[in-house]
Amino acid sequence: MKKFVVVLLFLLTVATLYFGKNIEIVYWTHTDTARTELENRLIEEFEAKYPNVTIKRVYNEAKKMGDLVLTAFSGNNGPDIFNLQSEQLFSYMINGRVSPVDFKALGLKDEEALEGEYSKGTFNPVTYDGEIYGIPLELTNWCIYINKKLFRDAGLDPETDYPKTWEDMLVLADKLVQRNGEIITRRPFDFRYPYYLVSLLPMVQQLGGDLVSPDGKTAIYNEEAWLKVLNYFKEWGMHGKNYGNPTYTNARKVWNKDNGDIVMCLTGLYQQGRLRTDNLEFFNSDDWMIVPFPVFEDAVNDNGAAYYGQYWMVNAQASKDTQEWSWKFIDYMRQHAEEYLADVNLMQPINSLLESDLFKSMPYSDVFTKDLEKSNPVFVHENGKMMEEKIGVAIQAVMLSGTDPEEALEQLKADIQEILDDSY
Amino acid sequence: MARKRKFGMEHNKAKWGFIFVLPSLVFFAIFSFYPIFNAFYLSLHKKNLLSLRPPQFIGFDNYEYLFHSSDFWNSVLATTIFALGTFIPLLVISLLLAALIMTRRRFQKFFQMAFYSPAVLSSVVAAVIWLLVFDPRGLGNQFLNTLFNSPGVDHKWLATDSMLRFSTMLVYFWKYIGYFTIIFIAGMSSIPSQLHEAAYIDGANRWQGFWRVTFPLLKPTVLLVSVMSMIQCLKTFSTQYLFTQAGTPSKPINVITMNIYNTAIRDHRIGRASAMSVLLFVVMLFFTALQIKSSKSDDVSFM
Repeated sequence: MKKFVVVLLFLLTVATLYFGKNIEIVYWTHTDTARTELENRLIEEFEAKYPNVTIKRVYNEAKKMGDLVLTAFSGNNGPDIFNLQSEQLFSYMINGRVSPVDFKALGLKDEEALEGEYSKGTFNPVTYDGEIYGIPLELTNWCIYINKKLFRDAGLDPETDYPKTWEDMLVLADKLVQRNGEIITRRPFDFRYPYYLVSLLPMVQQLGGDLVSPDGKTAIYNEEAWLKVLNYFKEWGMHGKNYGNPTYTNARKVWNKDNGDIVMCLTGLYQQGRLRTDNLEFFNSDDWMIVPFPVFEDAVNDNGAAYYGQYWMVNAQASKDTQEWSWKFIDYMRQHAEEYLADVNLMQPINSLLESDLFKSMPYSDVFTKDLEKSNPVFVHENGKMMEEKIGVAIQAVMLSGTDPEEALEQLKADIQEILDDSY
Repeated sequence: MARKRKFGMEHNKAKWGFIFVLPSLVFFAIFSFYPIFNAFYLSLHKKNLLSLRPPQFIGFDNYEYLFHSSDFWNSVLATTIFALGTFIPLLVISLLLAALIMTRRRFQKFFQMAFYSPAVLSSVVAAVIWLLVFDPRGLGNQFLNTLFNSPGVDHKWLATDSMLRFSTMLVYFWKYIGYFTIIFIAGMSSIPSQLHEAAYIDGANRWQGFWRVTFPLLKPTVLLVSVMSMIQCLKTFSTQYLFTQAGTPSKPINVITMNIYNTAIRDHRIGRASAMSVLLFVVMLFFTALQIKSSKSDDVSFM
């Protein structure tokens, strides 16, 4: 009897220690008002379901997330869960800073079961050495949002006159632009300037070019394609027809205001959620529409803007328990993918969601889906950010300094080659 | 016996002095000395910021790379242009402003406060304000176009290389002019008024009074301000960083501090970034040593 009591007490103690262990998970993400509301509610529900788990959600400005997460990890003090854009994740995987997906915690048998739930290619940017490291918070491609009123102001019919090719875009820009002397008071369109791998590289790819050769050893594949794109940007910039340049205010924020400053902008499905928050009247009106990413008239590839994802990842330096509960919480968030779509306009590429009436009934969701089907994933490389910066230097040179595109291309080629050859 | 007591008192004073200084020493050791030594150490190693592997010793390879890097030399050029273009006007105009304010009988405190106020703003806020001013539809173009009666001209504050450099200098000049003016005012106030009175009795006018009396006696302050402003200009970062974040070309304003930041944070090459920091540190150390040496040889006594 005594022995039985002792064993029982021992088991009770172990059980209390195991089940009663408090876990605190730190989750870093980027700002998005609508998503913050949703995730705060999901956290409350999760904490109520599992009282031993506390989740601390910290949000930062999207632009600064990369630097902040990097700095925290370099000091071995990274958050337990974080999300970053696919181009930024490669270094975390190759340096062993994030843990592979815990299928058991997600209630799945294996990798195949997970991949089966999502659309094809979803996990390509977060697969390294045969293991999957992230779960998509969203998968995004960019199309063109048009302010129909401003089209009509210029005597155009948005339904038929919208830009189908990049050449159309130049012709339309001339009709839509408004200036006071040299100063632009109404911009026809704004490229997403700092995000050259998502918006500019696909334009080069349409013409058969690429950033590196297929064997990955030589910079600037198909110089003719690059030259054509650099010439296009030179014509768009202040040394050409002066339709805008990278120093003007970020367009997608201005576009939501519907104040006549900008006619078209390049952004994702998520913009609708932000538009609803920023300007409900404009959102509910029939004064806007979305059209596909244009192609060049002589394009050899009919691809849209590159698609990229925001992926949730788990810190490999967190304790095993924290990692397990982190994956459980990520699983809880992905189980609410419908709410992410309905409330925040974020699309998690889950097959059942893409086939749902909810997705199909969303304004212009078909435009995004059709463009996505023919698009490439964003270029991923350990030094991708550096390369994107160098493309930016070339674009600024032709648009702002009036540098000859051939000269800018020579410099770009040398810069990218140096990055490829640098074995640091 | 008396000597022994004196020694005891001195010892006691020194002990308490050390106790009072200790917190600052600990603070500096952790937040200044350790990072400096760590930067020296890392500058001799190859280390990826995200890698969990220990740094790999590579000797002076990082320095050798920098001396062959066009990007590094572009940063040296950008820093030199910025430092010279900002420090000379800062020095000259703050001296003139101080002299002007000192001649005012009324509103002296108001002018001091008005000129100094931008210095209390954070550099980030200052850069954001000026980004609005330099917007093509902002106050910068409006002001110049009204002044020169040239409606619709875009002065391309943030676009062309030369205007962009000028814009960053202007922000810095605006922010620090009041700070250095106050230092000159303090220097001028310490000059005994009898010296000026004697000069005026001897027939000197105000102009001569300034150049023959005030200016020579201000030499240590001039030196202090020039070295301080030069070091301040070499450390410039936030204006250039925020401007490039807003879409301006990076090459003309890619100063060394920004290159250090990008090399470490964007490119993850902390060893190379540390090597650049060490080189910048050496340059600043040279200016500081120069200041200390010159201030000793140029000590002014009013006795």
